[in-house]
Amino acid sequence: MRNLSDQEIIDSVRKGNESDYSIIINRYKNKAFSMLTRMLKNEFDAEEVLQDCFLKAYNSLSSFKGEAKFSTWFYRIVYNSALTKLSSQKRKIEAEMTSVEDHFNLVSEYNSVDIEKKDINELVHKIINKLPEKYSAIITMFYLNEMSIEEISEVMQITASNVKVMLHRSRNLLRDLVLKSKLSEELI
Amino acid sequence: MIQITDEILNKYLDGELSREESEQVKYGLSTSEELQKKYNALKLVHEKLFDMKEDEVSPAFADKIMNQIVRRKFAIPKQQKYFIVSIATFITLLCLIIFGFVISAIISSAPSSIGESKSVLDSVSTLTDGLVKTLQHLFSGKGLSIIGSVFSLLIIVSGYFFFEMQKRAKANLSNGQHL
Repeated sequence: MRNLSDQEIIDSVRKGNESDYSIIINRYKNKAFSMLTRMLKNEFDAEEVLQDCFLKAYNSLSSFKGEAKFSTWFYRIVYNSALTKLSSQKRKIEAEMTSVEDHFNLVSEYNSVDIEKKDINELVHKIINKLPEKYSAIITMFYLNEMSIEEISEVMQITASNVKVMLHRSRNLLRDLVLKSKLSEELI
Repeated sequence: MIQITDEILNKYLDGELSREESEQVKYGLSTSEELQKKYNALKLVHEKLFDMKEDEVSPAFADKIMNQIVRRKFAIPKQQKYFIVSIATFITLLCLIIFGFVISAIISSAPSSIGESKSVLDSVSTLTDGLVKTLQHLFSGKGLSIIGSVFSLLIIVSGYFFFEMQKRAKANLSNGQHL
């Protein structure tokens, strides 16, 4: 049962085997949770929103036309729900302010002795959590969920070239931090 | 010769450059230590990002959702519940009004000396005749048009609420309907 494709599981759920939906939940829960945690910067909110996403997806299964992959469809629900949550918390404007061009501020923020003590994995993890929600969503979808640029652009409803620009900016930010740290001497 | 910018380095890392451009970047990297350092750091970040670990939700997460799905399946939605209750209340009140009107009409039309001079059987038949007459009066001519109007109003109001309910349900699901 575990090796069934998403479409086969959905068909089975639509036929009335609703318990099969738990396979879908177990398949996507941690990946979607990782994305939400990085976007919302809060595990409690992330789990709450994720619950709503799975229920929303279940209730909308009849409207899933299968034109896109289920994962793309589901991550779009997750992404939109995260944005809705952020806007309801009125944190969106605040987060936007620290976006794009402000990434240099993050570099200066880490321009301290602290950066030298950090392990590279820890550093990467911390910076991703500090990125604006759209950037952290792209990083999570691309690296953790192994989605293509086209799939990410479908989820976020932006062009593929915009996704690439945002991905490159995030990478450049992390690269600058690595180069600033003493870790670069050991690792590069 | 292309200028090797951060953008070009990223594209080189992703293998998005043409063969000619790639060769030029390769040459640039071999001749500039600074560029080489930048590229190596970028590559390291790229690799470390692939090593990123998933965050884990609480162990009972899937069970919690499945329980909610089962519970929701058997529960009438709150809005629907309010809708049914309000319609049922309206119909009950209407029936009570009609019943009250019929009873008062029978009582007022019945002779005052029922218990004194006539038998129980006669009283029952008088009351039945009264009931039939009142119902005939109610469902004929002006009475029928009033009842028809009330029911039409009821249907229109029900239709409006039903339509609103459908609209809200659709709006709630709109997040995932486009794909």
